Amino acid sequence: MSAEVVSSYAEALVAVVQAEGDLAATEDELFAVAQALAGSDELREVLADRRIPAARRQQIVEDLLEGQAAEATVALVSMVVGAGRGGDLVRIIEAAVERSAGLRNKAVAEVRSAIALSDDQQRRLAEALQQATGKDVTVKVIVDPTVMGGLVTRIGDEVIDGSVRTRINQLREAF
Amino acid sequence: MTARIQDGGRARRPSRLRRRAFAGALILLAALWFGASPVAAAGETPGACVAEKVEALNFGGRHGGEALAILKETAATGVDVGAEDKLKSFEKKLEGCLEAPNPIIPEVTEIIWGGIAFVVLFALMQWKLFPAVKRGMDRRAEKIRDDLDAAETARTEALEVKAGYEAELADARAEAGRIVDAARADAEQVRAELIARAETEADELRQRSDLDVEAAKRQALADLQSEVEAIVIGAAETVIGRNLDHDTQVQLIESYIDDVGSQN
Repeated sequence: MSAEVVSSYAEALVAVVQAEGDLAATEDELFAVAQALAGSDELREVLADRRIPAARRQQIVEDLLEGQAAEATVALVSMVVGAGRGGDLVRIIEAAVERSAGLRNKAVAEVRSAIALSDDQQRRLAEALQQATGKDVTVKVIVDPTVMGGLVTRIGDEVIDGSVRTRINQLREAF
Repeated sequence: MTARIQDGGRARRPSRLRRRAFAGALILLAALWFGASPVAAAGETPGACVAEKVEALNFGGRHGGEALAILKETAATGVDVGAEDKLKSFEKKLEGCLEAPNPIIPEVTEIIWGGIAFVVLFALMQWKLFPAVKRGMDRRAEKIRDDLDAAETARTEALEVKAGYEAELADARAEAGRIVDAARADAEQVRAELIARAETEADELRQRSDLDVEAAKRQALADLQSEVEAIVIGAAETVIGRNLDHDTQVQLIESYIDDVGSQN
């Protein structure tokens, strides 16, 4: 799938989210869906499998997200899967999140942590990242136990790594 | 064909020689036969000598046996000393008849007849036998000379052939020597090459073995280090994971936020 198609779908998603009004909340939910898909190969394969009828795949999405996300979010994801783009859903959502943040003049800071961050921690982290990078950022936290401890932040191509996993890897390389 | 003719000539010559020798022997026998007869008729036997002496005796006007009888009677009487002496002289003459001839000096007649026979025989021999013998001897000598020449020629040819053979043999020996030397040199070269190759291969094998040992040692050390590293890292990871309780996690997050905020 070309980057142009991904961008077109992302643009469509952002347009729908803007029309619904709650841009940040929908953005967070879409990001959470993308992280869930990124962590499950089986789910990605099922949603990308064209041998499964589109209605069946859409039903799977709706069953999974029902009660977990806003109806607009579920409808957007179902629309993409129904269009046969389930295999590119993660890339489309990431592009849409970045585009949505861009519309708010913000950069997306993808933060990986072993435990969930409190709102206060996310706010202070956003301030610290803004101070460090000079960009107004919106923090998207991904709970990743492989980080072990500390945080790993990626803003675009820039990575600020303070995780215990990276320290251990550095120790291994030092051997 | 030539050899057969020569053989025929050789076969005829002895036959002719034998015939001539047989003829010479007959001539000699005849000369002896006719030469000996006058000698035997000369009265040389003892009986003839006694008869001759008796016939020649003369005494008292008598001759022969009658004179001898008278002489014996007269001498027996002892009257006539002269008769006794004559009888004794007559007896000595008779005894002379009984004496053996001289073993060295023959009778004169025998010498004469022998000389005549010798001359005749010598003349015959000089006339017929000696020339034939001389011709035979000459032919024999010529044949021997021819044979000697042929033998010398054959010997020369044989020597030449022998020299040729010896030269060829010497060449063959020299060639064999060269071949043996070349083969020995080749063998020596092959041996040296094989030894050099074997030494090179042995050196390469030894070096490869050393390298393999060294590589195995390094690999073993690396494996050991890797295992130790894995054990140490795993242990550190386990210890760190056990000690990362919620408070520690929060502390790490706060520390991260402070560090990021301090960057500018």
